[in-house]
Amino acid sequence: MLTTKSRVVRAAALIAGAALAMSACSGDGGGDGEGGGQTGQIFADCDSNPNECNSAPDDQLQDGGEVTMAIEKNIANWNLNSSEGNVFETGMVMKAVLPSTYHSQPDLSFAMNEDVLQSAEMISEDPQTIEYKIHPDAQWSDGTPISADDFIYIWKTQNGRDCPDCAVSTTAGYEQVESVEGSDNGKTVTVTYSEPFTDWQQLWESGQPIYPAHIAAEHGDLDTPEGLKSAFDWFGTNVPTYSGGPFKIERFQNNQSITLVPNENYWGEKPNLDRVIFRIITDATQEPTALQNGEVQVIYPQPQVDLVQQVQNIPNVSSYIGLGLTWEHFDFNLDTEALKDKALRQALFTAVDRQGLIDKTVGQFTDKVEPLNNHNFMPGQDGYEDTVSETGQGSGDIEAAKKILTDAGYTLQGQQLMNPDGEPVPDMRIRYTTGNQIRQDSCELFAQAARELGVTVNVAPTDDLGGTLESGDYDVMVFAWVASPYPFANAVQNWTTGQGNNFGNYSNPEVDKLLKEAAAETNRQEAAQKVNQADKIMSEDAYVLPLYQKPTFIAAYDNLANVRNNSTLDGPVYNLKDWGLRAE
Amino acid sequence: MLAYALRRLLISVPILIASTFVVFILSSLAKNPLNALKAKNPPPSPRVLQLEAERLRLDHPLMERYWLWLTGLFRGDFGPSVQSTMNIGDEVVSRFAVTFRLIFLAMLIALILAVVVGVVSAVKQYSGLDYTFTFTGFLFLAMPSFWFAILLKEAGISFNNAVGETVLYTIGDSSVYVTGGLWAEVADTLGHMILPTISLALLSFAAWSRFQRASMLEVLNSDYVRLARAKGLRRGKVMRKHALRTALIPLTTVTALDLGAIISGAIVTEDVFQWRGAGSFLLDAIRGSDVYVIMAWLLVSATFIILFNLIADLLYGVLDPRIRYA
Repeated sequence: MLTTKSRVVRAAALIAGAALAMSACSGDGGGDGEGGGQTGQIFADCDSNPNECNSAPDDQLQDGGEVTMAIEKNIANWNLNSSEGNVFETGMVMKAVLPSTYHSQPDLSFAMNEDVLQSAEMISEDPQTIEYKIHPDAQWSDGTPISADDFIYIWKTQNGRDCPDCAVSTTAGYEQVESVEGSDNGKTVTVTYSEPFTDWQQLWESGQPIYPAHIAAEHGDLDTPEGLKSAFDWFGTNVPTYSGGPFKIERFQNNQSITLVPNENYWGEKPNLDRVIFRIITDATQEPTALQNGEVQVIYPQPQVDLVQQVQNIPNVSSYIGLGLTWEHFDFNLDTEALKDKALRQALFTAVDRQGLIDKTVGQFTDKVEPLNNHNFMPGQDGYEDTVSETGQGSGDIEAAKKILTDAGYTLQGQQLMNPDGEPVPDMRIRYTTGNQIRQDSCELFAQAARELGVTVNVAPTDDLGGTLESGDYDVMVFAWVASPYPFANAVQNWTTGQGNNFGNYSNPEVDKLLKEAAAETNRQEAAQKVNQADKIMSEDAYVLPLYQKPTFIAAYDNLANVRNNSTLDGPVYNLKDWGLRAE
Repeated sequence: MLAYALRRLLISVPILIASTFVVFILSSLAKNPLNALKAKNPPPSPRVLQLEAERLRLDHPLMERYWLWLTGLFRGDFGPSVQSTMNIGDEVVSRFAVTFRLIFLAMLIALILAVVVGVVSAVKQYSGLDYTFTFTGFLFLAMPSFWFAILLKEAGISFNNAVGETVLYTIGDSSVYVTGGLWAEVADTLGHMILPTISLALLSFAAWSRFQRASMLEVLNSDYVRLARAKGLRRGKVMRKHALRTALIPLTTVTALDLGAIISGAIVTEDVFQWRGAGSFLLDAIRGSDVYVIMAWLLVSATFIILFNLIADLLYGVLDPRIRYA
C-alpha cells in the first residue's frame, strides 16, 4: 500500500515537472492546438505606407470596445511641460487628453492638429509672427472654450521670465517669444518672436501640450510668478479631471493602470473605443506573456532577440519593427588628453565597423537597420544627408585608420601605439549602461577595433549613465539621443560650446555659428542646409560617431484596426481616437 | 515574558539607528540624485537643478541631512522623494501591504507543506516517498526563482488555454475592472495570487522541509522519544506531543531568520508578476538614487525582521517549557 502511494506521488511529481518543462520549451505556451507561427499580418504594409497601414473604415469596426496597452512607467507627474513630467509614458497617456497644435506622424514628419487648429501660418518674417486660428468649437470638457488664454498661460510658464521657478522641461522657443495675443474672442492667437525660431511648430505641440488656463487660475494668480508656479505644480500633482482631447481620464490606479474613456464634450470626431486602459508593466520581458494571456492587447517594448521571437510565436498577434528617432552613438570625451588629437579620434572611428556591429547586435532580429550617417536628421526626415560615409569613419577599414595615424606621426611599437612624441597612447575606458547587452557588445567591438590600432580600450559598465556623462568619467561612451521632427533647437543643445547636453565638451566656433543661425531661421530648408554644413564639420572633427537608428517594436492583436507604429515621441497612440476593434 | 519582549525591543532601537545611519551614508554617497534630471534631453536649466537640489536637501551637509531625516520621522515626515509628487509615508504603507499579502500567504503555505513533508520524510526515512520529497525539495532549491516564476506563468497560460478562459493571471495583483459582484472579485484576486504565491512558497518550502526532516530525525532518534515509546505511549501521541513540538524549534528559528531572504526573494517574484509591492519600490529607488525611499524601505523591513525574530524567541518558550525568560 505504501509502495503504491509513493509511486503515485512520484508519478505526480514527474508529470508536474514534465508539464513545467514542456511549457518552458513551447513557444506558444501550449496554444490552442492550431499551431504556432504568426497568423497576423496587419502591419504588412507599414514599411511602404507608414501613416495609413492597418487602416479600417468605421463601418468595419465594432461600436465601442476596450483595449489594454502596456506602458513601462508609472505616472509620477502629470505636467508634461515640467522636467519631471516630461516622460514618454506620461506623454502616451496624455496624448489624447490634452490639446496641442502639432503632432508627429509615423513617417517622422509633423502635422497640424486639425481638430484643434483651423490654421497656423507665419504672417510675418520680420518680426517672425505666427497666427493660429483655433477651431471655433474647441472647448475643454467643462465647456470653457480653448482660447488664446491657454496659449498665454503656457507661454508664461515656459518662457523662463514670468515664472523663473517653474521647473519646466525646456524654455526653447518660448524664451524667444515676445508676445502672445488673443483676438476674435480668443480664437485667434498671434505669436510674435523677438528673434526668429525655426522650430516654431514645436511650441504647444503634443510634447508640450496645452493645459487649461481657467483651471490654472483657480490654483494661483497667473499674473505673479508665485501664482504661476503654484498652478504649474498643481497640474503636476493632480490627476487630470479636465480634458481638451477625445478622451478623458476616468481612473488612475497608482502603479497599476490608467483608464481613458471618451470625452463626451469633444467637438471633433468621437473615438471608436469606449475604454482604453494603460497597464503598467515595468519589466519589458514580462510583456509577451501578458500579451499571450490576453491581459494586454498592445505592447510597445524595446526589441530584443528573445522578446521579438517570443511575440512572433503568439497566434493572432502581429508585430512590426520600425526605425525611429532614437539613435545610438559612440562619443569621445574631449577632455581626455589623448583624444584631443583629431587624428587619433578619426582613426579610432574609422576602425569601427558599423555594419559588422549592427549585424552582431540589433541585426539579429531585423535587417532594416543600417549605419546612420547624420548627427541631426534621421533617414526619411527632410534634410537627411550622408555626412559621415565620405570621412571613412564607421567603415572598419583598419588600413585606412592606420594610415591616418601614420600620417599624423603615430608609430606602432609591438602592440602599442605611440603618439608623435614617442609616448605610448594611454589605455582608455569605454562605458555603457549596466545590463544593456547590446551596448556591451558594441563596446567590446569598439575595443577590438582599437586593439588593431594598438590602443587598449577597457570596457566598463556604469549604472548611472547621467552621472557618468555629467562627471566626464569616461573616455568613450555609447548611449542614445532622441532626435526630433523639430531638430534645430535640439542641435544647439547637443553640439554647441558649453551646452548642458554637450557632455564631451566639443567646441567648434564654426559649428556654433551655423547651428545657432539654423535655429533662428524662418526658412526650414535653409536651416537644414546650415545644420548639414555643421554636421559635415562635426563628422570631420570625429567627436561623435552615429551608429544606427534604434529599432522600435509594436505588437497587437489582429482584430485591432488603425493601430500602427509611430517611432516618434508621440508613440503609437498618436491616433488613439481612431483605434477600434474589427467587426467579427 | 513582557519584560523580556520590551527589553529586546529596546535593544533593537540602537541597532536600527546604526543600520539607518550606515545605509543613509552609503546610498547618499553612491550617486547624485540629480544625475537623471541632468541627463534629460532637453536639459533642464540651472535654476531648475538648483531648486531640485534644495528640495532634496542637497544644499545641506550630509550629516545634517541624516539628522533632518531622523528627527523628521518623529513628525511622520519620511523626507522628500526624487519623485516630487510622492508621499513616501503613504507609498511605503501601500507597497508593503501588497508585499506582505504575498509573503504571509506564501510563508503560511510553505510552513504547512514543510512541516508535513518534513515529518513524513523523517518518519518514512529512505522510503520511496522520502526520496520523492527529497528530489522535489532539491529541485526547487536549485531552481532560480525568476526562472521558476516564468515557468509557472507559462504553465498558467497553458492552463487558461486548456479551460478556454482566463482563470490565472500573469500581471498585477488584480484586474483593472471586475464585473460580476463579490464572487467575481474573489475569483479575480485568487486568479492573480495563485501563481506568485506558489512561486514564492515552493522556494521557501524546499529549504524548510529539509530542515524539518533533519530536525525530526534527530528528535526521533533521541533517548527521551525512545523512552516515551518504551513506557508504552501511543506512537501518534509521542510524535505530536514530544517529537514534533521539539523538532519545530529549529524551523521557528530558520523561518524568522529567513524573513529577510523572503522579502528579498519577493523582489524577484514581484517583478516577474508585476506586483507593485515593496520590491519594485526598492529597485526603483536604488536606480533613481532615491535615498529617502531606500531609507523608508529599510526602516519598515528592518522593523519587521526585528519583530519576527522577537516572535520567534517568544515562540521558543511556547514550544519548550524549559525555556524561561523572566
